[in-house]
Amino acid sequence: MLSKLSFQTQKKVILICFITIPLLLLFTFAYYPALELLRLSFMKWNGVSANKEWIGFANYVEVFSNPDIFGVFKHNFAYFVVGIIQNMLALFFAVILNTKLRGRNGFRLLLFLPYILNGVAVAYLFGYVYDTTNGSLNALLGSLGFEQLSQTSWLGNKDFVNYTLASVGLWRFMGFNMVIYLGALQSIPSDLYEAASIDGANAWQKFSKITLPNIYKIIELNLFLTVTGALEVFDLPFVLTKGGPAGASETFVMKIIETAFQFNNYGLASAMSVVLLLFVVIVLSIQRYLLSRGDD
Amino acid sequence: MKKSLMLLLSVIVMLTMLSACSGNTNEKNEPAGDDGEIKGDIVFLTNRTDMIGNVYDEYKKRFEEKYPGVNLEFEAILDYDATLKVRMSSGDFPDVVFLPTLSNAEFPEYFAPLNDIEFSGDIYFKELRAHEGQMYGISSGGSTVGIVYNKEAFAKAGITDVPKTYEEFLAACEKLKQSGIVPLASNFKDKWPLDVWVHDIPSLIGEASDHQNKRADTDTPYTMDNEYGKTWSIVRELYEKGYLEPDINSTNWEQSKKDIATGKFGMYLLGNWVINQVIENGADPDNVGFFPFPADNSGQAKAPLNPDFFYAVNKNGNVPAAKAFIHWMIEESGYDEFAGFIPTLKDREPKLAQLAEFNSYDVKYFEPAQPSDVAIDIQNAAQLDQAATVQEFVLSDDPAAVLEKVNGRWAKARSDLGIKE
Repeated sequence: MLSKLSFQTQKKVILICFITIPLLLLFTFAYYPALELLRLSFMKWNGVSANKEWIGFANYVEVFSNPDIFGVFKHNFAYFVVGIIQNMLALFFAVILNTKLRGRNGFRLLLFLPYILNGVAVAYLFGYVYDTTNGSLNALLGSLGFEQLSQTSWLGNKDFVNYTLASVGLWRFMGFNMVIYLGALQSIPSDLYEAASIDGANAWQKFSKITLPNIYKIIELNLFLTVTGALEVFDLPFVLTKGGPAGASETFVMKIIETAFQFNNYGLASAMSVVLLLFVVIVLSIQRYLLSRGDD
Repeated sequence: MKKSLMLLLSVIVMLTMLSACSGNTNEKNEPAGDDGEIKGDIVFLTNRTDMIGNVYDEYKKRFEEKYPGVNLEFEAILDYDATLKVRMSSGDFPDVVFLPTLSNAEFPEYFAPLNDIEFSGDIYFKELRAHEGQMYGISSGGSTVGIVYNKEAFAKAGITDVPKTYEEFLAACEKLKQSGIVPLASNFKDKWPLDVWVHDIPSLIGEASDHQNKRADTDTPYTMDNEYGKTWSIVRELYEKGYLEPDINSTNWEQSKKDIATGKFGMYLLGNWVINQVIENGADPDNVGFFPFPADNSGQAKAPLNPDFFYAVNKNGNVPAAKAFIHWMIEESGYDEFAGFIPTLKDREPKLAQLAEFNSYDVKYFEPAQPSDVAIDIQNAAQLDQAATVQEFVLSDDPAAVLEKVNGRWAKARSDLGIKE
């Protein structure tokens, strides 16, 4: 039947057939819920009742005017700081493990392994590490003779609880960043380094003049992942501290979940989700602008 | 061979499906038993999947012996509330169920009034699931909140009598602390164990259980001198005197059960459900005690009494047999003993040794008030997590300011919702 059609039409039919299914899936499971989220963010809805009331921008006003909601973003700062350190460490290990080091595959595996573990399992595990009285970290510090330090309440001090939590993230995601860097490093042709060696460049010069410019795009990608990760942290504080002590480690995503499922305010929670999305876009635009200056 | 096996299997599946269909239609065509005779089929929808195939088999045998005309079946489901609501909206659900979370006014639409079931004595929670004088739910049992303690730890600390007043309680804590035992396991970090300080202990302090509802009538529901301020000041005092865990921001629920069992921790302030869990974690049952929390210095033992699930009867089902079944469950089944409940019948003594001990202190029970939607609405609009407020109250340098902040949010939510004095 189709054979009677011209080549062009056949091509079009095939293209449309192939593209319909993924598009359908994309629209039902990605775009439709996203639009629904946007629609809900202008409504007042308790999650059960049949009538949803259109209230315009009231939810957005609430998000920005209520310091209890918007203020939690400052807790994410710790995750940014630790995220930057995480990227530097990852690059450091990637460069080292890219050399002809004995047993480098073993080291790569060791560093990458935490990433494979399930997030909640990792959080549970670190619950035992950071426990004040029975925790392994304090036991280690104690046996090393740091009496004062071994009494530290790692998850109970509101000044550094976020750094404690972020350090778990570092342990978990550093290997992942490292693997991406490694991939980029291996794509740099080795004759560049050989030529540089002949010209008498030292290791630092090779790193800053050859390696860095070549993996610039990848650094950008890793920072992108780190920044979105930092803005959307959820599992670690949710399992380890429940946002405590006294809300010091509560993150924006936890706040969203609480708003929707505990306080039954789906409209406000949707607005918060949209704000988070916009926030990610804004922060990333700034990052792109800063990093790509003079590049293009 | 494989093919014929598949064929056989599919035939069996088809047949069971068909018979299931016909079973259903039979059930529907059967008269609902308006003549009041106790016979026919009844199905009980339960959440206790663990009792299927053992305890329930025995219940079936005993119940059908008493009522030979009845065929009793049990169906156990998980995610009870949501599943039941879906089945109710389809219009077809089992004869006996546990009441789902609906407002009382909606009950008459689905359930038969149960006022005419004659029990051998007065029962608890009569008013709780009633609408316009008709009772739609009968509690399957009750539970209470008090101090679960390790008797050996008490003996080691030299405490001979359980504390009857708050002063004695503090003295007991001090003795425990002096002998190197953590007096009270609060599980502060996990937040949910603090719910007793929000719901139960204020009832004892204020001697009324409707304090959560009364919040709707005021702009300042949390003050230092009302039941909440007083209750939370108790937690704060225990914390400041070092009677809680060494670091309350780093507590571990699973570990705490073992620590209570071994006597490393002295006490819990939780519901009686925790007793069996402590025993499961290695405590000798004779070593676990339970006494009412002395919230004040009056010497009168007080405790909240909270209901478990409520039995209800599908008004379109086999009502007489269903009522007979509920009567039998309350009076004869022995389910309260199996579940470790306080029996619904007021004059029946609980079988669990610890509950018997608890009751021996001549406890004045406070039954809960029907929760009001208004207070819940304000609480949600104010985005108020009371257990989190308890945490803040205890940790803050200025507890009064914490209450002031919470009251501010409450008042704003209240005016936003347009609730008048």
